[in-house]
Amino acid sequence: MEFIIISTLNGVIYGLLLFMVSAGLTLIFGMMGILNFAHASFYMLGAYVGYTLAALVDFWVGLIVAPLLVGAVGILVERYMLRRVHAFGHAHELLLTFGLALIFEELIKLFFGDFPVNYRMPDELQFAAFTVFGTDYPFYRLFIGAVAVIMFVALFVLLARTRIGIVVRAAERLPRMAESLGHNIPLVFMGVFGVGAALAGLAGAVAGAYFPTNPNMALELGVIVFVVVVVGGLGSLKGSLVASLMIGLFSSFSIGLDWSLASLLGLVGLGDWAESVGGLFTMTLSSVSGTIPFLLMLVILLVRPAGLMGDRN
Amino acid sequence: MRRLTALLLASTAVAMAAPAQAEPLRIGIIESLSGSQTSTGRLYSAAVQYGVDIINAAGGFNGEPIEVIEYDNAGGSTGAADEFRQAVADGIHIVFQGASSAVAGQITEDVRRHNIRNPGDEVMYINLGAEAMSLTGDQCHFYHFRYATTAPMRVNALVNAMAAAGELGTRVFSINQNYSWGQDMQTAIEDAAAAGGYEVVEAVLHDVNSIQDFAPYVARINAADPDTVITGNWSNDLLLLMRAASEAGLDVRFGTTFLDQPGNIANAGDTAIGHYLANNYVPDAGPAEFNDAYRDAVGHYPIFVEPPTIFAVGALAEALEQVDFGGGDIDVSAIALALEAVVYESPVGPITVRAEDHQTIRPVVVSHVVRGAAYPVDDTDLGFEVVGVVSGEDAIYPVQDSCEMERPD
Repeated sequence: MEFIIISTLNGVIYGLLLFMVSAGLTLIFGMMGILNFAHASFYMLGAYVGYTLAALVDFWVGLIVAPLLVGAVGILVERYMLRRVHAFGHAHELLLTFGLALIFEELIKLFFGDFPVNYRMPDELQFAAFTVFGTDYPFYRLFIGAVAVIMFVALFVLLARTRIGIVVRAAERLPRMAESLGHNIPLVFMGVFGVGAALAGLAGAVAGAYFPTNPNMALELGVIVFVVVVVGGLGSLKGSLVASLMIGLFSSFSIGLDWSLASLLGLVGLGDWAESVGGLFTMTLSSVSGTIPFLLMLVILLVRPAGLMGDRN
Repeated sequence: MRRLTALLLASTAVAMAAPAQAEPLRIGIIESLSGSQTSTGRLYSAAVQYGVDIINAAGGFNGEPIEVIEYDNAGGSTGAADEFRQAVADGIHIVFQGASSAVAGQITEDVRRHNIRNPGDEVMYINLGAEAMSLTGDQCHFYHFRYATTAPMRVNALVNAMAAAGELGTRVFSINQNYSWGQDMQTAIEDAAAAGGYEVVEAVLHDVNSIQDFAPYVARINAADPDTVITGNWSNDLLLLMRAASEAGLDVRFGTTFLDQPGNIANAGDTAIGHYLANNYVPDAGPAEFNDAYRDAVGHYPIFVEPPTIFAVGALAEALEQVDFGGGDIDVSAIALALEAVVYESPVGPITVRAEDHQTIRPVVVSHVVRGAAYPVDDTDLGFEVVGVVSGEDAIYPVQDSCEMERPD
C-alpha cells in the first residue's frame, strides 16, 4: 500500500512536469505543423533567465519575466528565421530548429560556463507539504504539479472556449479561408510560436530550480519530451497530458519493482535455469526503467501510429 | 582550430629546421572538448598543459620543447577512433585521455592494434581517469598506464575512513549507474562488506543520466532503512539523488566518488554537508605550494580530475629524465619502461606503477563536506575537509586474473 501511494504520488508529479515542458511543443506542432527541435532549448533558456533574475532580483520576478523573455525570443525566431524557410517544407524547418538547439547550447556555455549553476528555489518554498509513511513530501513538487495543471486548464479554455482559439484553430485547419475572412495568419502563427516558447520558458524557470540547471538540460529532457508528444498524438494537448502521466507513473512504479524475466519464468518452474543463464533474464525492471518511455513509444507507434489521441487514427 | 595552429607551427618548425633537428616529443590529448562532457574534458586538457609547461620551462625533452596537440573526440568512441588515426598521422608519441571508460576502451584497443602493426613505432596511452576494471583486466596491455583510482580502491578507502570516523553504520544501500563503472562500484561495495563490517541492505542499478526524478529511488532507500548510501554516481545522477534525499528528509550519510565535480557543491548547497568523498586529491590534503602554484598558472585551485592529471604528467617528467635519445629518434618503449619504474612523490604520498597490469598504486584521499573549509569550492563557503589519506598499499586490490600482458623484449 505504502509503495502504491508513494509511487503514484511521485509518478503523477513527474508526469505533470513532463506535460509542462511538452505543452508548448504540442501547441506549436498542432497549430503550425512545425516539429520544433529547439523547444527544449527554450526550456533551458527559461531556467537560465530564472536563475539570473533570482540572483539579481527575486525568484518570483524570474518566474514572470522568464516566459515573457523566452516568448519574445520565440517570436523573433519565428518572424526572422522560420518564416523564411517555411516555403521549403518541413525538412528545412526541422534542420533550422535543430541548428538553433546547438547554438543555444553553446551560447549558454559561453555565458554561464560548462558547469551546473546554483539555481535554487526560494527558502519560503522549501518545506515539507506533508509526511507520508515517514517521508517528507516537498512542497515544491506540489507547486510544479499545480503550475502544470493551471497551464493545461488555461490552454484548453483558451483554445476551445475563446474567440482567439477559434481563429487559431481556423488558421491551422484552413489558412487560406481564414485569411480571406480578414485574419492576419502570419501574425497568428507568430503568436502561437511565441506562446509555445513562453510556456517552455515558464517550465524552465519553475523546474530549473528543482532539477539541476546546466547546459545539458535541454538534451536530457528534449528526448523524453518528444516521446511524450509522439505517444500522446502529435498536436493533441489532452493526449500529451495522458502520455505524460502514463510515462511518469510507469517510470515511478518500475523503479520499485525488482521483476526480471527470471522471476517471471520462476512462476512456471524455470527460475533456476533462467538465473543460471543470466544476461537478459536476470536484468531487473528497475535497472532499465529509463527505457520504459521508449518501449511505450514503440508499442504506441505499432498499435496507433498517430498516437493515443492523434487526429489521423 | 588550436590543432590547426599547432600543426602550422609544427610544419613551420620543420621547414626552418636544420638537418640535425631533434625529434620533439609529441603529446596528444584526445578529450571530450565539445558535447555534454566538455566541462571535464577541458579540465584534463588544462592540467596536462600545465604539467607540460613545467617540463618545457625546464628545457623540454630531447633538446626540443614538448608539443601538445588537442583532439576533440566529441564525447564518443567513434570520434575518438577518428581522432586517434589523426593523432598517429601527426606523429603523436603519447596519448592522454580520461573522461569516459567507453572512449578509453576504444583508444586502448586502437593503441594496442597500432603497436602490433607498427613495431618500433609504438604509441603510449596514459589513462587519466577512465576507471573501468576491464582496462587493466582483459583489455590490459603494456602501453596502457592508468594514473587514476578504480572502484575497489575508492570503496575500500571510503569504507575504512567512514568506519574509523564512526559514520558508516552497519546498513549500507548501494545505488549505481547501470554500466561498467556502476557495476564495478556495486561489486566493490559488496566485496568490501566483510572488511567494513556492514550489510548491503539493497543494491540498485539505474539508467545513466536519463532519470529526471529520483523521488521513487529515495522511497526505496527509505524503505530499506540504511545508515549509509554509497554511490558512484556522477553529474546529474548524483545531484538529483542527493537533492531528492534531502527533500524527503532522509537521514542518511552519502559516501560518494564524484562529489567534487565542479558545480556539484553549489548545486547541492547545504544538502551536501557531512557527505563523504573518496578521490585522488582535494586541496585540503596537500601543501599550499602545490595548490598555489596551480592557481597562479591556471586561475583556480586544482580540483576534480586535475590533480591526478598533474601527478601523471609529473611521473612522465621523471620517466623522461631517465631516458636520453641524444636528440635522435624517440623510442616510446624506452619511455614506457622508464615510467614503469618511476616512484612519483605526490603531495599525498608515493604513486607507483604495478608492472603486472599497469594500474597505479596510489593513495586515496577521503574527505567530507564542511562549512568554512580551508579551500571553499564553487563560490560557496563549503568545501572538502580531509578525514584520512589511505596509503596506496592499503587501497590496492589484487591483479585481475584476466590481464595477460605481453612485454616488449
